[in-house]
Amino acid sequence: MTAILQTEGLCKSFGGVEVARAIDFAMQPGEIHCLIGPNGAGKSSFFRLVLGEHRPDSGRIRFQGEDITGLRSFARIRRGISVKFQVPGIFKALSVRQNLEIAFQHHLHGHDLDATIARVLDFVELGAVAAKPAGELAHGQQQWLEIGMAVGVEPSLLLLDEPTAGMSPDETYKTGEMLRALNAQGITILAVEHDMAFVQQIAGRVTVLHFGAIFAQGTVAEIIRHPGVERIYLGTADVA
Amino acid sequence: MTVFDKPTLAEAAPVARRSRTAIWLARLEGPQTMGRGPRFWAAVAVAVVTAAAYPLFVDGWTVGNAAYFLVWTFMAMGLGVVWGYGGALSFGQTAFFGVAGYAYGVLTINFGAAYGFTLFAAVLSVAIGALLAAVIGYFMFYGRIQGVFVGIVTLSVTLVLSTFMAQTAGPEWAIGAARLNGFNGMSGMPPLTIPWLGGDIALFADRPLYYLLLALVVLTYLGLRMLLNAPFGNVLVAIRENPQRAEMLGYDVRLYQVLAFTLGGGLAGLSGVLYTAWGQYITPSSMGLTAAALPIVWVAVGGRMDITATLLGTLLVLSVFQALTIYGSQYALVAMGALLLLTVLLTPDGVVAAAMRRVGRAFAGRRRR
Amino acid sequence: MDFATSAFSFLYQFGDAFAFLVIASAGLAVIFGMMGVINLAHGEFIMCGAYVTVWAARAGAPLPLAIFVGALVAGAVGMLLERVVIRRLYHRPLDSIVATWGVSLIATQGVLILLGSTMQGVGTPLGSVAIGAFSYSVYRLVLMAAAIGLLLALYLLFYRTRYGVIARATIEAPGTARALGVDTARVYSLTFGLGAFLAGLCGGLYAPTMTMVPTMGATFIVESFVTVVVGGADIFLGAAPAAAILAAIRASLTAWQGQLFGQIGLLVAVIVVIRVLPGGLSGVLRRVRR
Repeated sequence: MTAILQTEGLCKSFGGVEVARAIDFAMQPGEIHCLIGPNGAGKSSFFRLVLGEHRPDSGRIRFQGEDITGLRSFARIRRGISVKFQVPGIFKALSVRQNLEIAFQHHLHGHDLDATIARVLDFVELGAVAAKPAGELAHGQQQWLEIGMAVGVEPSLLLLDEPTAGMSPDETYKTGEMLRALNAQGITILAVEHDMAFVQQIAGRVTVLHFGAIFAQGTVAEIIRHPGVERIYLGTADVA
Repeated sequence: MTVFDKPTLAEAAPVARRSRTAIWLARLEGPQTMGRGPRFWAAVAVAVVTAAAYPLFVDGWTVGNAAYFLVWTFMAMGLGVVWGYGGALSFGQTAFFGVAGYAYGVLTINFGAAYGFTLFAAVLSVAIGALLAAVIGYFMFYGRIQGVFVGIVTLSVTLVLSTFMAQTAGPEWAIGAARLNGFNGMSGMPPLTIPWLGGDIALFADRPLYYLLLALVVLTYLGLRMLLNAPFGNVLVAIRENPQRAEMLGYDVRLYQVLAFTLGGGLAGLSGVLYTAWGQYITPSSMGLTAAALPIVWVAVGGRMDITATLLGTLLVLSVFQALTIYGSQYALVAMGALLLLTVLLTPDGVVAAAMRRVGRAFAGRRRR
Repeated sequence: MDFATSAFSFLYQFGDAFAFLVIASAGLAVIFGMMGVINLAHGEFIMCGAYVTVWAARAGAPLPLAIFVGALVAGAVGMLLERVVIRRLYHRPLDSIVATWGVSLIATQGVLILLGSTMQGVGTPLGSVAIGAFSYSVYRLVLMAAAIGLLLALYLLFYRTRYGVIARATIEAPGTARALGVDTARVYSLTFGLGAFLAGLCGGLYAPTMTMVPTMGATFIVESFVTVVVGGADIFLGAAPAAAILAAIRASLTAWQGQLFGQIGLLVAVIVVIRVLPGGLSGVLRRVRR
């Protein structure tokens, strides 16, 4: 089976700081994969390299077997990747409905567009506030709106950068269930996360980054028992 | 109740189908433009009818003057698209205005007005203006020039053009039979001339030209409303609000910026052609520093984020300015400066836009959007 | 005409243009370069300085004192403007363009109404000196020295005084500065006032060489903007070398094709630099220095 996302020898440094050191990463379609590591390990940088915000110094990135290293961000998105960043990437001055329209309209038109917007509003439970400016929603609702924007186009791969940042435990759990439901419908998920309880709730496989290189890889259970992982986190309490 | 109890993405309640015509007509109203509902459109109809009846009550010179105001609205609406909806403050509108105006002059002086050539020249000149805008837009937006630097680059381009044209006074500066004439400007080109069986109709600054302009303004206004509420307008606004996010949703941000800029430039070119045809005259000062800043004034005071406010604001500021110049010429510019300052400090979204919102609140019972 | 004479002539043109660009853009470099505010009223601060200088000189003050007074008044007006208008526009660069252009209109027209379309000026002092076949204004040579002196004084101000350190810190990281107890509002006010003072100084220095008309600011504004944009945010690594390069371009083009082409050359330089060097010269030179 072709890996849905694969990097070969991905290297990147910013003025002397190596944020990616020959990363060879692969994940299979249908996975929920979490990327963890201490602060500064290079998780967000890896994301940005995959998305095309930065150009790697060397190495290749493949999506569904196709080499996307030379493509601009929007072209990569169009091939079936969706992303949700840590900072809410919604259009705060525009209505909830408009946010969804913008997210879907290059894929869908006319009736399909209307229908999909209705479905997504229902799924993220924002139907009642569809006309409100997105900036007036609660923080958790904004995150769900963004998830709705990301999945309405039925991407092959969903990238999430700390999807539960700033959420209450209830909202975190609900988000986890939402993601598992999406995964059950065929969306592959790669998430950067700090919250180990959340990782345990949703993840199949986990990759640990440390100083820009892959430190360990395996199932959740394997990673939790891995002695080195606990060490690099300096014994933080949320490693169960 | 967990999320599993909700319908999944694959099922949902059915949504009524809409025909393509219905969809396009529905775009006359939308999130990007103010004004909706029967009361609004009734007001629009009243305005158009009044404007159409206006020439019956005043003399030819006044009609020609009103036509003069209408000439500028295209450039202002174009700037509204580029700045208000696209978020890029461009001082370049007058560059495209001037280039298209001179192009019209050169073409019609060389080839005359017979067989409807002026109409063809007009279209071609607008296209030339739009093409220049596309080239400059490509240079800027594909070169990652953003924010205030768009303003600086476009202002520089405008000044280069106006400075260059100002020193074309000698007889060697001519394209075909049309002398560029430096500071004095080019004159003597024919007005828009419609070929007609009984004899060509030349549209000087009088009633027929006025009606043509009025029709063009109405068509452009409605067309822009539809475009700005269509997916294209959605993307423009998204780019204005958060360009990185728009790119991450799969839109080629640079392409949309160039398209919007080209549209704005084409509209500015239309103003340029109509201005030249209206007065049979064009000079480099129409591309100078003051001229470049004037559209900014109209659009800022009117309201840049809404096309109706931009249109009304332009007409309003032009009338006020003309009245001030006639009745108290010295104070006209002071008043203009004060108007700018107060607008930015008190109603940064535009005076006309704020007024429209207030009127809307007074009339509407239910919430917009 | 021998080589020495034409060389001196070119050098003089270059020095003259360099002095003009440095003196004209210093105030704008502080305001745009350091604070990111586009001040389209820059020309009017120059005009203010010029008018006050001429008034003071004709009232009997010696020229240097008159120039200083002109600059001071411009600085005071600047601080007032900052408090009333600019303060609200720090995060709205496009709006600051529109607002300051409004101020510019009010100032130009206001002066026109109150003081008439022209005011009697003062003559250029110090006469001229003949070198080769041409005579050169001594005063303009003085201005070249003044430009260099100005750069030196600004360097000392920003790098050797307490105000300078605080100002640079505040502009780079206002939140941190505030957390350390700096009255950032006052720093902005003083810095804007300094920019206006420098503009007034420009007006005062050039007043004896120009006709006093309300629109005299327009002579300076395009060139100073070009210098500041080409130079980038830093005055010393940016505006000064930019002034030198642009002066060379200006002098060459003017000698070759005339005034208007000199102007065009500068504008083309701006466009090219923005496209190729987004941070201006100072962006490049900072990296080199590191």
